[in-house]
Amino acid sequence: MTDIVTVTFAADTQNVALARTVAAAMAARADLPLDQLEDVRLAVDEAATEVISSAAEGATVTCAFDHDDSVLYVTVSAPTSATEPPSPTSFGWTVLSALVDSATAEIIDGTLSIRLQVSSDLVDV
Amino acid sequence: MTAAAQETGGWSDDQRRHEHLLLDEFHRLAESDPRRLQVRDELIELHLPLVHHLVRRYRDRGESTEDLVQVGTVGLIKAIDGFDATRGVELSTYATPTILGEIKRHFRDRTWAVRVPRRLQELQRQVTTASEELTTELQRSPTVREIAERLDISQADVLDALEARQAYSTDSIEPERDDDSSPGLVATLGDEDSAFDAIDERETLRPLIEALPERERRILMLRFFEDKSQSEIAEELGISQMHVSRLLARTLGTLRAGMTAE
Repeated sequence: MTDIVTVTFAADTQNVALARTVAAAMAARADLPLDQLEDVRLAVDEAATEVISSAAEGATVTCAFDHDDSVLYVTVSAPTSATEPPSPTSFGWTVLSALVDSATAEIIDGTLSIRLQVSSDLVDV
Repeated sequence: MTAAAQETGGWSDDQRRHEHLLLDEFHRLAESDPRRLQVRDELIELHLPLVHHLVRRYRDRGESTEDLVQVGTVGLIKAIDGFDATRGVELSTYATPTILGEIKRHFRDRTWAVRVPRRLQELQRQVTTASEELTTELQRSPTVREIAERLDISQADVLDALEARQAYSTDSIEPERDDDSSPGLVATLGDEDSAFDAIDERETLRPLIEALPERERRILMLRFFEDKSQSEIAEELGISQMHVSRLLARTLGTLRAGMTAE
């Protein structure tokens, strides 16, 4: 089963809490154990903060969540004024990579997208 | 019978003598003497059963036992530091109100930080208990579904309870033991090969990380540079996974604020 949930909000850090809440709910649907669920909350917080910090004036942030039985996929994106995606050796990126199985960032047509993927630790157990 | 009497009542004369020798030594040693912390640790260890005993009164209130023991231990440490043997009371008698005071303050501060509706408080209590039980039974962190099934409530209720817990301020309960003699962290930060040194903002981050309380620093390093899970860190530090998660969230917030302030 998959179900897609998309949340959009103005690029303002006070909206990050909203993204965190949806992230936790979607992590529960992907059946992630609590410690991974809390990691996802932190990761989405980090990704949304990153996207907001380089967002273009008046931009809207989109957080798209999708999952199958044991994997959660998150894409956080917004039009950006930056020309380079976040440095893989920045602290923020180090934190993100530690929290999820895979984190990638790219800028296409002036939109920065950060993609996260988390597989439940309970698979293969 | 008082808690203190219950605890020390079972002590042999030898144990009592040992405690008095430790207390004598503790108060004679200079504050800078590294031996002083060792003696204090021995005194803490000796009285941990008292903390456990007092914490038992507060179980079923939605806080994990480990967290309360930690809070109670802060009270114990304060009591040891402020204890005056010449007054003729036993340390355990003197420490009991201090430990209870810390625990009560913990509950009071929590309620002040966020007004949580009664329904959520009750949910939180249940979710905390179920989560701890399931962690023991399954030997891993449980899922939201498993907690909901155990309690026969909806997954949305479990999520509400988790979110409310996350929002709690725990600032007042941090045991600030400035124990610089503990190895590991400063060494990890200084290690040229460590992952930390590959980070762009390391020069900005270093003082911010060094200013963190010891425990927050350790959690940060274990989670992000040694790839330990929240559950593994919780076990290693003897606190709940939920507490690790709260401390991590707060630490990241602190660092982020510090970095943008530069």
